[in-house]
Amino acid sequence: MEQKVIVSMEDITMSFSGNRVLKGVNFQLKEGEIHSLMGANGAGKSTLIKILNGIYHAVSGIIKVDDKQVQIRTPKDAEKFGLAFVHQELNVCNDLTVAENIYIGNWIKNKRGLYDKKATSRRTKELLEIMGVDLNPDVPVRRLRTAEKQIIEILKTMTRDAKVVVLDEPTSSLNEKEKENFFGIIHRMKKNGVSIIFISHFLEDVLALSDRVTVLKDGVNNGIFSRGGYTKDDLVVAMLGKKIIETEMRPLTVQEDAKVVLEVRKLCSDKKFNNINLKIRHGDIVGVCGLLGAGKTEIARAIFGLDKFDTGEIILNNEGISRIRPDLMIEKKVALLTEDRKLEGFVPLMSIRENATLSVMKKMSNRVGIINRKKQEAFAEDISRRMTVKMSGIEQNVVSLSGGNQQKVVIARCLAIQPELFLLDEPTRGVDVYAKSEIYKILREAAESGTAILIFSSELEELLANCTKIIILKKGMITDVVNTEELSKNRLLSMIG
Amino acid sequence: MKDKNQKFKDMFGEDVVRLVIILIFVVVMSFASPYFMQMKNMMNILQNISLQGITAIGMTIVIITGGIDISVGGVCAFSAWIAASLMKSGVNWGVACLCAIIIAACCGMINAFSIGIMKIPPMIATLAVMNMTRGLQTVISRGTTLTGLPESFQVIGQGNILGVIPIPAVIIIVLYLLAAWFMSRTILGRSIYAVGGNPESARVAGIKNTRVLFFSYIICSVFACIAGLVFVSRTNSAPSTLANNLEMKAIMAAVIGGTSVTFGGKGKIWGTFLGVIIVGLMTNALDLLGVSAYYQQFIQGVLVLLVVFLEAIRSNRAAKQH
Repeated sequence: MEQKVIVSMEDITMSFSGNRVLKGVNFQLKEGEIHSLMGANGAGKSTLIKILNGIYHAVSGIIKVDDKQVQIRTPKDAEKFGLAFVHQELNVCNDLTVAENIYIGNWIKNKRGLYDKKATSRRTKELLEIMGVDLNPDVPVRRLRTAEKQIIEILKTMTRDAKVVVLDEPTSSLNEKEKENFFGIIHRMKKNGVSIIFISHFLEDVLALSDRVTVLKDGVNNGIFSRGGYTKDDLVVAMLGKKIIETEMRPLTVQEDAKVVLEVRKLCSDKKFNNINLKIRHGDIVGVCGLLGAGKTEIARAIFGLDKFDTGEIILNNEGISRIRPDLMIEKKVALLTEDRKLEGFVPLMSIRENATLSVMKKMSNRVGIINRKKQEAFAEDISRRMTVKMSGIEQNVVSLSGGNQQKVVIARCLAIQPELFLLDEPTRGVDVYAKSEIYKILREAAESGTAILIFSSELEELLANCTKIIILKKGMITDVVNTEELSKNRLLSMIG
Repeated sequence: MKDKNQKFKDMFGEDVVRLVIILIFVVVMSFASPYFMQMKNMMNILQNISLQGITAIGMTIVIITGGIDISVGGVCAFSAWIAASLMKSGVNWGVACLCAIIIAACCGMINAFSIGIMKIPPMIATLAVMNMTRGLQTVISRGTTLTGLPESFQVIGQGNILGVIPIPAVIIIVLYLLAAWFMSRTILGRSIYAVGGNPESARVAGIKNTRVLFFSYIICSVFACIAGLVFVSRTNSAPSTLANNLEMKAIMAAVIGGTSVTFGGKGKIWGTFLGVIIVGLMTNALDLLGVSAYYQQFIQGVLVLLVVFLEAIRSNRAAKQH
């Protein structure tokens, strides 16, 4: 029996400021199927989903729901057509009960038009039973675990009669048992006639769950697979291509006996990461590789003292650090480039000059803290030139720079302290290809002058091209450490997924 | 050339509007009253705005950190009243003033502790301190007014330099120059902007955010205290209603001066100075028109709301462009 196509996206193209990210993508979701959407970072899958959600508007192409052509301008429109989206970040109200969260916005009313708590709770109980979820509808959501909160997000879509549910990386924070439970719920939703779009990096989950898989690569379709007709390797090849990338730069050589700059021993933080051990030497570039939620950001922040950890030791230059605070770490010549440039990177209303010198104001001022403007200007001018920041001048506002140049300013601020250890969390996120290669060059130069560099990234090419060693992180644990030379991208992907 | 124009606009665009408003006030008022344009009246206005003018410096600093301090009225009244009562009981006026400043600094420290360490929203934290100080001041003053302060103390508020320039006017101008220089030229001043503009990146860059907040709230309370002392000295009295509604006037001056209450890191001491003058001229004009104090309070509220609306519209538009 041929299934009816419920959502059809045809020949979708999309570009951001002249940069084409989708080049005529097709995607068909059949009624009652679980369809996975895969692709490496930057392949365009999240753009495609945001177009379906009405957050972005496609440059050209047709979207059909139930064979009728529709215009989705806002998320509200998407809801009207029976499309529901479960995002990676949870949007539950912690102080409302399970029932109130599941029926949020649609609370059941009694005859007088007031909120009927009992009926809402009863209906939730029925829904939970149908779905085989063991939860008390009257418990406040605050008391639930993350996995249970996620289930609530999914059940929310059921109370709105969604025909199509889009799940964005729903399994990244689940353990094996929770995952089984989650698969059960998805199958029951499918049985109720709901069609599901499943977005995931986890190859095993995709294999286990999907009826079909659509793979995107560099903004075009690169294969559709049906259940039983493919293997994990087929997916990897479709996502990344067969070619193993070659590094243009000659490999970095690090002396075996170079001094250890940072040693982390048995670092643990509840629910974030567990038993992290790592060592990095003078002049070395080491990568930490893992998917979203693997604990990369958490580890970087803990080493720098932005977040507290439970147990473990951080040893800098053979000296155990007892008080770990960002300002003290900077004094010890450790710099961190944070993941979110806008939220934690630069100060938006300040100029390039001030942002670049934010950590070294003391160096360019006298004893009582009066800044020598000439010195500051000269320093900012010099470092932004070395970082190849494209600007009209050092007084330009950082906000008005492109993403890549903003990032170079933040890197300038980090390198201004002449760090012995430089931690970078997703250093090239949202940065164009050209700026990327410039940033890699800057990092390479820093390493050659002796800085120990630790890159936390989910971009495999980045790690393979720059690092001598890659530490594989999976669900907060180090599962492997490999030398980059002997590694192909495909193997790396199957190691982290 | 176009670039230069833009730069000029960025730097002075808003201040030009403020200067024009001041100019219009001055022109209209000089037609209304020939007395207005005289040097003496100008100095009078400067003297009259000294209370909210000095307080507004500290308020601007606190608002730039992304916070607000509504305890300034209470702190000002409480500390100035204590100074006055110490003088009445025979304590040297210098020592009395020092005590008042120390008490104000302690109030600022309580504010900073609640906000910087306990992470309580600034509005609530300073509201609590406002009630504490107002309450204590009412208890110890029992609603009375203290007068007859030492003459050597009265000189601060009533004396002149060269026979024409009142000392309060000198104090206010010197404090503004000092604060403007401090905010633009020192590490601490720039750190205040960084913490207000983006607290997370300031922390990552190694700035000690908590210390910056402590400094800002303490200096804000100290400025409120100095403002109170100048006022008490000028009027030779410390009434129990001292500094009523001061927080609103100080916020109004800062906001009209271009300091942003929607997000931190934006504002200039120089802008606040113009804001204070606008508020002072407006009060003056309303007084001359015979508008009652209660209506004036209403008008002040409307004005603050209007200015904040204008800023919100502009920043929303700017957000859309990005």
